[in-house]
Amino acid sequence: MAEFTLSLTGLHARNESTIQATQDWERGRIDSGTLNAAFRSDSDSLVALQKEAGADYLSDGQFTTGWQDFLRPLTNGLEGVKKGAMVRWYNTNTFYYTQIITGPLSGNGNAFWSKVERRFLKQGKFRVSIPDPLTLSELAEDHHYGSREKLLFAYADVLNKELLTLEKNGVSYVQFSSPALVARFTQKAISKDGLGQLGEAVRSAVKGVSLRTGFHTIFGDASHYIPDIFDAIHTDDIGFDFTQTDPDSLSPTKKGIIAGVADARTTYLESVEELKGNVEKVLDRTGTKKITLAPSSDLRYVPRVSADAKLRRLGELKRELGEK
Amino acid sequence: MSKSFPTQEIGSLPKFSWRTKPFRQMTLDDSDLETAKRWGERMGVTGTSRLLKILSKRADFSDEEKKEIVDFSLLYAIRMSETAGRGLSEHEGLDLVWSGEQARTEMYETPVSNIAGFEFIGKVRSFDNKYWRMASIRGSPSFENNYHIDELLFTQKHTKRKVKVPVTDAITIMAWSDNHYYTAKWAREKVSPVRRSFNARREFTLELAKIIRKVIRELIASGVEEVQIDIPAATQYQSVDDIKLVTEAFNETTKGLSATFSMHSCFPPSIGYAILFPHMLEMKKCERFSFEYGNRDGYGRGIDDEARSGFTDLKLFKEYGYDKGLGVGILHVHTDKLPSVAVVRDRILYSAKVTGLDPEELYINPDCGLRTRKPEVAQRMLDLVAAGAEKARGESAGH
Repeated sequence: MAEFTLSLTGLHARNESTIQATQDWERGRIDSGTLNAAFRSDSDSLVALQKEAGADYLSDGQFTTGWQDFLRPLTNGLEGVKKGAMVRWYNTNTFYYTQIITGPLSGNGNAFWSKVERRFLKQGKFRVSIPDPLTLSELAEDHHYGSREKLLFAYADVLNKELLTLEKNGVSYVQFSSPALVARFTQKAISKDGLGQLGEAVRSAVKGVSLRTGFHTIFGDASHYIPDIFDAIHTDDIGFDFTQTDPDSLSPTKKGIIAGVADARTTYLESVEELKGNVEKVLDRTGTKKITLAPSSDLRYVPRVSADAKLRRLGELKRELGEK
Repeated sequence: MSKSFPTQEIGSLPKFSWRTKPFRQMTLDDSDLETAKRWGERMGVTGTSRLLKILSKRADFSDEEKKEIVDFSLLYAIRMSETAGRGLSEHEGLDLVWSGEQARTEMYETPVSNIAGFEFIGKVRSFDNKYWRMASIRGSPSFENNYHIDELLFTQKHTKRKVKVPVTDAITIMAWSDNHYYTAKWAREKVSPVRRSFNARREFTLELAKIIRKVIRELIASGVEEVQIDIPAATQYQSVDDIKLVTEAFNETTKGLSATFSMHSCFPPSIGYAILFPHMLEMKKCERFSFEYGNRDGYGRGIDDEARSGFTDLKLFKEYGYDKGLGVGILHVHTDKLPSVAVVRDRILYSAKVTGLDPEELYINPDCGLRTRKPEVAQRMLDLVAAGAEKARGESAGH
């Protein structure tokens, strides 16, 4: 019998009040204290909703100004990185600032921890989503290392320090989000050797860490990497965006599966039956003992009301599967 | 004889505070009126006494008065393009002009507000604290109003220069919308997830293309000769099928129409415009591609690869044997930091060198629309376009 858990998988949409507050703040109509209060209220309501939906790991939403884009905590928090041009974030209408690598990467391990809304740590198991080393190294403009491989492992070392800090402070789960592995522009999938190299980088990133970890492939079809990905990537869970990856392409594994069954890119709300159909395929093909019910990617690409509706629906799915 | 390095604006120009405040139920203050007066005098706008009389009401404008305010803002935008380069170049003004999209809310909201089947559902963050108002498609889209005809007629009436109308394309409307209707329609089809989501995008896009074709057909019937198809989302979906769909949508939009068509895009992913090649070259009626390059470039002098690192992507056109027109974005539009006229000239000469195109085929423009800049900065940018092109003309003619 498999265990079903539920969690968000990345940056969540801001609510309308917070959006208004950020715009008022930009125009000088409110001060930083008022803006921060809006963010606090917003993450409070999101955490309350996660509890109501039955989420097993709580997220603070990762939507404060520290998370202006998914890379920003590191863009602003590392030595050896300069902020570059604004570039499109994969196949979305959202943008990030390129990391220009000007020297050896180093940090104090606090880039992500300093962005965590710490009051939620006492309220349950807490999770954070961060970029994986492949995404970081592929999107960076390297003026220092001279090779992608060196940069990949430099990022892995930086991430390891970050994970140790998160673990020390009580964070229970870290998910690496990896659009780079599956959203390859028009390029081909990376080779088996390349996947192995990424696996080594992830192994470096999780070295000495005992909190639970996941590796979620978002925005693309991961079927090219099955079954190798299960052996190559050293995390407890491997995640799939099932709006792109066919669950029939899965193979048996003892790892946990992050089942990105709820389409995070549209407000079309799947029925519990539709979602359940995909989860049953995952169970059937993998024989896994642990499935995390999740959106296909971050829920920041639809307005908040729709993002919350997706979360509620996943809660209904969890109850339905639990009663089975 | 054709002119070397003709100049154009991409589409939008900033809106003055006296244009925006009446629509936000805000009260005008002295500085708003002073701005209207000063800029009117500077650009030689006639009839500003009427505008100032309306604005002196400060608040509670009637619908008729708001319409007049918008008309004046169109006029100011036309004059801004017509006077570009004043004091810096011998011949002032851009060769292709438009009215700065002053009558539009913005390039996405205006079309979806005038196409049946959409519902606005809330704001989505694009970066930092910037958002767009997302609309959701809830049924098959259909033509409701021609949302550009009035601004076209006004613009044609108030300029003697050649007019180019920018029109948001189907791919962009699809990509920035919530594809609810077609996702639901394809949800139970027995195809792979990748194919299912692509089919939902394609069907939505091609339905929109038919509507946009109707909009453009009416614009052409009203006398416009130049139409710029705006596709900022051309590089958003990045599979080969999606890149081919950009071309298919362009061809579907322009099918059976007769005008000079160009396309504009900006902000590609990290691999640059290479992602669009070679498929975009199959846009049958596209006479000119206008892309941004200035935002990746340095501010130093020179016409070699190192000095002009932001423009090296242009080599792709020569590699693929392209021999039609280009619109080269020579100014980064998301910063107030401006290059000198000499650097602009260098950017233009480098572009001519690496593309091998005739200078008559190289249009010079800012990277993108200037709506996010203050009017002073936008004017200065248009001045640089006009003056930089004039300097480059002198060089390429051997002066």
